[in-house]
Amino acid sequence: MTDSAASPLEPAIANLIVQTLKLKVDPSAIDPTQALFGDGLGLDSIDALELSLAISQTYGYQLKSSDPEIKAVFSSLRALSTAIEKNRTK
Amino acid sequence: MPDAPLIGPYSPDGILAWEADGPRTARQFLSDVSRLADSLPDRPAVLNLLSSRYEFLVGFAAALLRGQLTLLPQSRALQTLRRIAGDYRESYCLTNRDEPVEGIESVALQRHGSLAGWPKRIPQIPLDQVAAVAFTSGSTGQPMPNKKTWGALTAVAWATGARLGLKASAPASVVATVPHQHMFGLEASVMLPIMHGWVMHAGRPLFPADIRDALADVEGARILVTTPLHLRACVTEGLRVPPVGLILSATAPLPRSLAQEAERHFQTEVHEIFGFAEAGSVAERRTVAGDHWRLLDGVRLVRDQQDQQDLQGRMAWKAQASYLPAAIRVPDRIVVEADGRFIVHGREADQVNIAGHRVSLGDLNQKLLAIDGVQDGVFFLPDEGAEFVTRLIACVVAPGKTVEDIQQALRTRIDPVFLPRPLLLVPRLPRNETGKLPREALLKLAEPHGQGEG
Repeated sequence: MTDSAASPLEPAIANLIVQTLKLKVDPSAIDPTQALFGDGLGLDSIDALELSLAISQTYGYQLKSSDPEIKAVFSSLRALSTAIEKNRTK
Repeated sequence: MPDAPLIGPYSPDGILAWEADGPRTARQFLSDVSRLADSLPDRPAVLNLLSSRYEFLVGFAAALLRGQLTLLPQSRALQTLRRIAGDYRESYCLTNRDEPVEGIESVALQRHGSLAGWPKRIPQIPLDQVAAVAFTSGSTGQPMPNKKTWGALTAVAWATGARLGLKASAPASVVATVPHQHMFGLEASVMLPIMHGWVMHAGRPLFPADIRDALADVEGARILVTTPLHLRACVTEGLRVPPVGLILSATAPLPRSLAQEAERHFQTEVHEIFGFAEAGSVAERRTVAGDHWRLLDGVRLVRDQQDQQDLQGRMAWKAQASYLPAAIRVPDRIVVEADGRFIVHGREADQVNIAGHRVSLGDLNQKLLAIDGVQDGVFFLPDEGAEFVTRLIACVVAPGKTVEDIQQALRTRIDPVFLPRPLLLVPRLPRNETGKLPREALLKLAEPHGQGEG
């Protein structure tokens, strides 16, 4: 997955991340290409689990660690938004 | 000294583990262990950081055969690893390929396909051999070592199986979401299956769909070893899963309502294990059946004679067992009934539990204060709200430093789960005249940041 064009879902996903994880940041201030985990936004595996539930409930996309693209999917807001757009069932 | 076999009753071609690409027989396992044991460097101790549960087990068993201690750090933070490596002279890391640890000699696990013959006799390990050292977070900021003998690990595995009515002869498979480097994970997801001759799933599923897939990989009575967090995720997601024979939860208290939902969702019993790294698993209960814990066979509770009763008349207790070198203080306030059953009333004040990871606030504070430019600082846990997980807050006095500077420094020192949210830079801490920090004052300091931006 590459950093291609922005997904139209980006602002909604930024909101979902901030609200689900109760982050103290402005959703529009998240750099869409910045890393979500580790050094970037600083999320961890518990956040990933929590976020996966919100994504599944809102968009019907069930994340799986065995998905070979999972690392890319979680690499940035842009990649995540693109993956949700592609795999959403609702 | 008596000894006990490295693995339970497996036939040579019986399945011992399930990796991503399929089963590993007991013959393959012993072959992998003996090959690795022959190639390990001649050192007294090893930090086993392997992420596959099967590869971890191969490394652990090879270290046992070579008489090497397996060190189980409580976090992967680089400074923690270096500190432990520094405390254990000539120790080294056993790592995944391409993941060496900077500054510590790292040996990568090599996998070859060739198969050795089934040995005439399963390797035996002396019961008094120290097999592993599990580290806990002490209030001094130093990782505290807790030695685990082979006798203690095998005794807990058998006592747990017996309590749950599980038999070594019946085919069963263990799928676990907990890390194998933590005490509960080592006991319930590694020792429990291999002592009983069951299948151990090598994965560590995180998302509900992962848990479903891992359960579908294996056959026989499925035992899910997990935490309240993963159970909550599975119940919320509502995915259909293959039949599960038993669920074992630990690391954090399981609310009874969640236990009821989980029993309904998985159509099976949910049992909880009570334990702590210093002593290992000590008691069990079926959560929906009541608040009382029943001690595992062989464990007794005795009063801690040095302790005073607290204001509610509760006393500290110690756990005793033949396989423990001494009585070990229970880190929770408990009330013990005449028949030995007990109720838990929460951790002692300095200890907090975030998503199943226990830590001493004193330890975190020491690590915070050790950061260059930090003049004063404190971690505290806000009152629990409706969140999935309540995170720690830190207030820090560090003129000239940014929040990102401090977070960056903390990241190399502490487990990510304890990183503060938020971390607040303040001109000074609300210390009272005795230098103490009243909880109310800290909560007030954090208040304006609780709502939105900050």
